[in-house]
Amino acid sequence: MAAMKCEADNCENEATVHLTEIRDGVKHEMHLCESCAANKGLPGKSHFTIQQLLAGIASQTQAFAQNKARRGKDLACPSCGTTLSQFQSSGRFGCPECYVAFREDVQNLVEKIHDSTQHCGKVPTRTSSDVAMQKDLRQLQVDLKKAIRHEEYEKAAAVRDKIRKLEECMAAGGLPSGADDSTLPRPISTHPGDPPTPGSSKKKGKSDA
Amino acid sequence: MNLNDMIQAPGEWMRGSGPEAEIVISSRVRLARNVRGFHFITRMDEAERLACETHIRNQIQASGVALPGAYFPLHEMEAVDRKVLVERHLISKEHEDGTHPRGVAVSQDESVSIMVNEEDHIRLQVLQSGFQLQDAWKLCGKVDDQLESCLEYAFSPQLGYLTACPTNVGTGVRVSVMLHLPALVLTRHIEKVFQAVSKINLAVRGLYGEGTEASGHFYQISNQVTLGRSEIEIVNNVETVIPMIVRYEHEARQTLLAKDRKRLEDRVWRAFGMLKYAQLLPSDESMMLLSFVRMGVQLGLLKDMTLRDVNDLFVYTQPAHLQKLCGGPLEPNERDMRRARYVREKLEHLKL
Repeated sequence: MAAMKCEADNCENEATVHLTEIRDGVKHEMHLCESCAANKGLPGKSHFTIQQLLAGIASQTQAFAQNKARRGKDLACPSCGTTLSQFQSSGRFGCPECYVAFREDVQNLVEKIHDSTQHCGKVPTRTSSDVAMQKDLRQLQVDLKKAIRHEEYEKAAAVRDKIRKLEECMAAGGLPSGADDSTLPRPISTHPGDPPTPGSSKKKGKSDA
Repeated sequence: MNLNDMIQAPGEWMRGSGPEAEIVISSRVRLARNVRGFHFITRMDEAERLACETHIRNQIQASGVALPGAYFPLHEMEAVDRKVLVERHLISKEHEDGTHPRGVAVSQDESVSIMVNEEDHIRLQVLQSGFQLQDAWKLCGKVDDQLESCLEYAFSPQLGYLTACPTNVGTGVRVSVMLHLPALVLTRHIEKVFQAVSKINLAVRGLYGEGTEASGHFYQISNQVTLGRSEIEIVNNVETVIPMIVRYEHEARQTLLAKDRKRLEDRVWRAFGMLKYAQLLPSDESMMLLSFVRMGVQLGLLKDMTLRDVNDLFVYTQPAHLQKLCGGPLEPNERDMRRARYVREKLEHLKL
C-alpha cells in the first residue's frame, strides 16, 4: 500500500492524521501530516492520550469549571503564569510550581489517573530531608484534627497555616530544614528570558537551610 | 562516536539475543526527570531552552554517565540523521520533530540514552535485547543516581518526581516490552490480549511508542500508572504479564502448525519469496513480510536464517537507515527500489 500524501497545499509529507467527519449526513475525510494537522488546530497523534484522558474524565472537567466559577477567575501559577485553562487544553504544566498553584484541582485529576496521590518510589538523596518534612506534616495534621476537636480554632488556624506553607515548600521541591516558619518555597525565575542560575542553586542546595 | 560509525552495526537491543528473544524483542525502562530552577519545556523561551540544554549536557558529562559515548545536538542535525536515531529507538518521534535546542546522549552500546529537552528536561532510557526488565531497571536506576549527583531534580515528597504531564508524575517510570506477535494476530486472539492487558492498567502501543501504529506485528506493552507504586512494583507488574503473552503466542504458533501446517508454511515461504525477488518494496510491506519470515525462522521452517539476520533487515530497511546506507536522500519510489535491492542482496547467499 502506497503512503498517502498530506492534502494540505504545498505539502509533500506523508499523511498520518486521518479524520472522518459526518456533516449533514455527508461523510468528509481529511488526510494530513502531523504538522499540517497541528496548524489547522487539530490534535496530532502524539497529544491524543492526555487530551482524551482529560476529556474522558467528565467529572474532572466539571470540577475545573465549578472551581473556576467559585473563584470567579481563572487560576494562574504565580511562578510561570500558566493558567488552569491553559493546562486544561494542553495537559501540560508550565513549571514544577504549577503543582502547588493548582493543587486543589490537580489532586483530583492525579488520583483519577493513578488511583493514588502518594508517591512511594525512589527519593532523590539530595532531598531526603524532605522525608523529615513529611513526617512533620503528618504530625501537624494530627495536631490540626486535635485542635478542631477541642474547638481551639485560633490554634487550628495557626497549624493550618503551617501545614500550607510546608506543603507548598514540599511540592516545590523542598528545602532541607524542619517545619518552621522560615521554610518558604524557593522562587523559580519568573522571567522566561532570564536564564536561571542552576550552578548556584546546586551549591545552595544543602547550605541555605 | 559518530552517526556514520554507529550505523555500521545494530545497537545492543537489536542483537536478537537475551531471554525469550524469539518473541520479546526488547525491554525498556525510562525515567522522566526535570531540573529545578527551569520552567517545563512548553513554558520556556528559546534562551531558557538553550540554557537548560547546555546545563544538562554539561552535567551529563560531569557525571560520567555518557562516557564513553556521544551527545547528539538534534537541532544542529539533518532530519535524516535524527530519524536514524528514532529508528534505533534512541529518541522518540516527538523529540525528532522540532527546532528548539535539544539533544540526546547515547552510550557506546546504545543501551543507555538520555534525551535532553524532550517533554521533560530529561528522559533517561535503558533498552536491552530480549526479556530482561530487572537488569534494565537496575542499570536505569544506577544511571539516574549518577545523574542526580550532578543535577537537582524537581521533586515533591507527596507527588514524587514532578513532570510536565501529570500522567508521568511520581516515579516518572515507563516500563515497556516490545513483543512480536504475528500468530496472535493471525488467529485473531490479539484483541483478547489487549483487553486482558488493559484490565490490569497496562497499555498497548505500536512500534515507535505512543501514538504509533503497530507494524510488522510488533506491540509494546507498558505501564500507565506512575504514582502510588514503587518502581520495582511497576517493573514486576509488567514483568508478570509478559510470560503469559509469550506463552499464548507460542501456543498460537503451534496451533497454526497443527491445524493447517501447509497454509502457514505457504505464508512464510511466500513472504520469503517476495522478499527475495521483489523489485519494489514499500516499507509497510517489507515489515509485514519480514514479520512472517521471522516467525518462520523461529519455527524452524527457514533453516539457514537466524533471528539476528531478520532483525538486521528490520533495522536497515527502515527509511532513514536505508537512505544513510545509500549515501543520500531518496525519493519514496527510489527508496522502494533500493530497499528491494538491499533485501535481495542480503538474501542472495542463503541456501534454503
